[in-house]
Amino acid sequence: MSKTTADLLQGTLSVLILKTLTWGPRHGYAIARMIEDTTDDTLLIEEGSLYPALYRMERRGWIEAEWGTSELNRKAKFYRLTSAGRAQLRAEIAQWRRFSVAVEKVLATA
Amino acid sequence: MSRFVFWKPRVEEEVDQELAFHLEMKTREYMSKGLSREAARQEAVRRFGNVRQVSEECRELGARRDRAMAWTEWLHEVGQDAQFALRHLVKNAGFAAIAIVTLAIGIGATTAIFSVVNAVVLRPLPFPAPDRVLLASETWRDMRNSVSVGNYSDWKAQTKSFSRFGAISWSSFNLSEGEAPERALGARATWDYFSVFGVNPEIGRVFSAEEDQPGRSQVVVLSHRLWVRRFGAQPTVLHRSILLNSERYEIIGVMPAAFDLTAGTEEFWVPAAFTPAQLALHDEHFLTVYGRLASGVDRALAQSDLKAIARRLELQYPLDDKERSVVLTPMAEQFVGSAREQLLVLLGAVSFVMLIGCANVANLLLARGAIRAKELAIRASLGAGRGRIVRQLLTETLVLTGLALGLGLVLAYLGIRALIVAAGAAGVPRLEQAGIDLPTLLFALGATLLCTLMAGLLPALRTAAGNLQSTLREGGRGSSSAGQRDLLRRGLVMSEVALALVLLVGAGLLIRTSIHLRKVDPGFDPTGVLTARVTLPKSEYPDVARVTATFERILDALRHAPGVTEAALSSQVPLGREGGSNGLVPEGRPLDPSSVIVSQSRIVTPGYLAAMKIPLIVGRDFTDADRQSGVRVMIVSSTLAQKAWPGENAIGKRVACCEGTPTEPVWKEVIGVAGAVRWGGVDRDAAPEFYLPVQQAPAVAWEWLQRSMTLVARGTKDPALLTPVIRAAVRSINPALPLYDVRGMDERLSLALAQSRLNTVLLSLLGAIGLLLAAVGIYGVIAYFVARRTQEIGVRMALGASTGDVLRLVVGQSLRPVLLGILVGGAGALAVTRLLASQLHGVRPTDPITFGVGALALVGVALLASLLPARRATLVDATMAMRGD
Repeated sequence: MSKTTADLLQGTLSVLILKTLTWGPRHGYAIARMIEDTTDDTLLIEEGSLYPALYRMERRGWIEAEWGTSELNRKAKFYRLTSAGRAQLRAEIAQWRRFSVAVEKVLATA
Repeated sequence: MSRFVFWKPRVEEEVDQELAFHLEMKTREYMSKGLSREAARQEAVRRFGNVRQVSEECRELGARRDRAMAWTEWLHEVGQDAQFALRHLVKNAGFAAIAIVTLAIGIGATTAIFSVVNAVVLRPLPFPAPDRVLLASETWRDMRNSVSVGNYSDWKAQTKSFSRFGAISWSSFNLSEGEAPERALGARATWDYFSVFGVNPEIGRVFSAEEDQPGRSQVVVLSHRLWVRRFGAQPTVLHRSILLNSERYEIIGVMPAAFDLTAGTEEFWVPAAFTPAQLALHDEHFLTVYGRLASGVDRALAQSDLKAIARRLELQYPLDDKERSVVLTPMAEQFVGSAREQLLVLLGAVSFVMLIGCANVANLLLARGAIRAKELAIRASLGAGRGRIVRQLLTETLVLTGLALGLGLVLAYLGIRALIVAAGAAGVPRLEQAGIDLPTLLFALGATLLCTLMAGLLPALRTAAGNLQSTLREGGRGSSSAGQRDLLRRGLVMSEVALALVLLVGAGLLIRTSIHLRKVDPGFDPTGVLTARVTLPKSEYPDVARVTATFERILDALRHAPGVTEAALSSQVPLGREGGSNGLVPEGRPLDPSSVIVSQSRIVTPGYLAAMKIPLIVGRDFTDADRQSGVRVMIVSSTLAQKAWPGENAIGKRVACCEGTPTEPVWKEVIGVAGAVRWGGVDRDAAPEFYLPVQQAPAVAWEWLQRSMTLVARGTKDPALLTPVIRAAVRSINPALPLYDVRGMDERLSLALAQSRLNTVLLSLLGAIGLLLAAVGIYGVIAYFVARRTQEIGVRMALGASTGDVLRLVVGQSLRPVLLGILVGGAGALAVTRLLASQLHGVRPTDPITFGVGALALVGVALLASLLPARRATLVDATMAMRGD
């Protein structure tokens, strides 16, 4: 199975970020690592699009940022899910499920 | 500027640090997989892609995010303020209601008047570049009059200042098309009249230059109004024909609705088609001339151009054009006329009322600010800056004024409706177009913001400026800023009184004028008199002898009609729409224009003076014996007699007028002097006037009069009851003759004053509202002073001050700003009432009685308003007061 970049599908990146943040506040690097680890490196996060996505989501109010100290004692920007972000995640998960069921159906008949 | 509590770097720093952290972590990740630091770093950067581009993108997104957040935060704070303000207002519903109603009256009234001013005065006329269209009038000495055909065509031939130059004259026509004949106002226009305004027909075409010639002019252009009213707006109306004065005209076009400038204008146009004889005529003045300035020419240039032409014409026609010149007026100015300044005065007055209202609300807010000093001090100590508190207080005022705007717009809508109904009779052009439109809404919004600042800013600054620390220490009484606040209150009272005085004086002057006008004798007795106009179509009555015979038969029928005690015919009645100016020269003076006395001519039947109850001072009335064969006779008004033969007996004097030529004058002998009639209205002086017997009327007069006469019937009851009787009498002579302009003389008198009466009522109303608001304001401030000085008053009373002393103290306290306000307002009124001068009669703009009464009314109201709190002060219990709260 070849490796896939997460932004192949429109909007997939944001749902992954939101999901990742349900386990607690994280900085950008940790978010990318977590997604790659969870999918056993099947999904590789394109770092060039990860950060703009984070800024966009921050503006939409889905996540909020706070500066803190990282495990290496360096200043790092930590992202946290807001209640609006949680609602967005629920909506995106539902949409994703509908989408994948639909695709599955097509593939099953073909 | 940033007020974030937590550390937050600038966007550029934020992005750089965040990306640097990421690359560092990535480098470490690769190093842990065995790469050298250098190689790991390179790999991290390579994996990342274009760091610079991503960083740019993130900075851009971050900046946008920060702006959105600042905006959200601001909105949130405003929302908080508004919510807080609403809660506060609900808790103080009484205060809120008073403030909102006061402001709503001010905003609503001002908006209503603005809407009218906008519709009537400000809105440009509905055609291209209306400011380039000028009215050209002839002047003779200081008088402005209509233009003769000869002068018009000479001007037109010689001027280079106008790209278009057209003329029009109005007359009423018997219009019939199928059945139902009616009388309609139409106009004879030159072929290029329409192009002066740059308005094209809605359907069809306007007349061509060829059609504007005698014998080829049987075409008519309809107004939109007539097209809708009479022809149901059918496009098939083109090429149909209608009968105008019994002659057939082909409909060739319809002008658009925008060309119907006012409700009472002409309804159709036929070509002027001047005959060569008319084109040579420089003596009869009945044309209204409009021109559109050529490009690059301004009014002054056009004016001097036409003046030069007029000077040449004066030399060319020394008799007819002597002392004649030209004046140009912008069409908009001529169109709006006297309504303009009356409306602007009203707008000024109504904004005064609004300002008084603002001052009152400012007062209320100051009082609230004092009460809330403690609450605000606590907010300040919890970290709210001064700016934040001012903003919160202003937001509270904005909530007040916003609610007032809503209510005010409702009031304005009702006010505009009421004004249109009330002023309908006054004939203000375009008034019916007033409404709550976009400019009116913007104005209302502007007025609301102005009120917010006027009423809210000073109290907010004052309240927030209080030394909050000391306020807290002193238990919230906030005394350290109280001195300044008192000064502000006195200032407010002073301004209210000054504004109210200007309003009162203005209203008072107009009221005195209307009292004066009610007592003015018009020179005739209008009670029980009905008047109506009849025209005999030229096609049916070409022969002048037949015209006079027919009018005599109509008069005969009228005299025998039931309920009619006296009847007569006249070419013009007082306050009628018809003109009739005619120059005359008394015998013994040179027969040239320098000795001409401009007078009004009336062609009447015997008994006209009696029917109108115009007194005959000396001499006799006309009789049926005054016919063509007899001596030519005339009756002059006492004004004319005075002017022509001062100090002499006019009877037997001879006058040249109305017919003949300077070399062969036709002399008329004065047989009677009649009382002066204020034929232009009771607000005008009686101008010279003379009467000729109908049987001796010069034949040409029937052309000027278009074979029309006004029937005058006097009865003993309501003149309206005579209408069917008169109709029946006319019908018995010729059933096809329409009767029009049917009105009682009472009605004519009252219509002539409708506009000034409306103005008086409105200004009086505004004066009353202003007075009331000022009284409320004074009461509020005095009550506050008393409340603040309770302790002091208690001490004084304990030390032996009498009730009288306390009353004097309190009332004196209140009168000082009032008297100062009266001084300022009096000076202001002196400066402002000049604007009213043209509307005043029988009273000078500086009338001391009006000023005195206005000032006394304000002092009286101020005394009344301060008496209640003063009484309360005398009941202060000394021990209670000294214990304080």
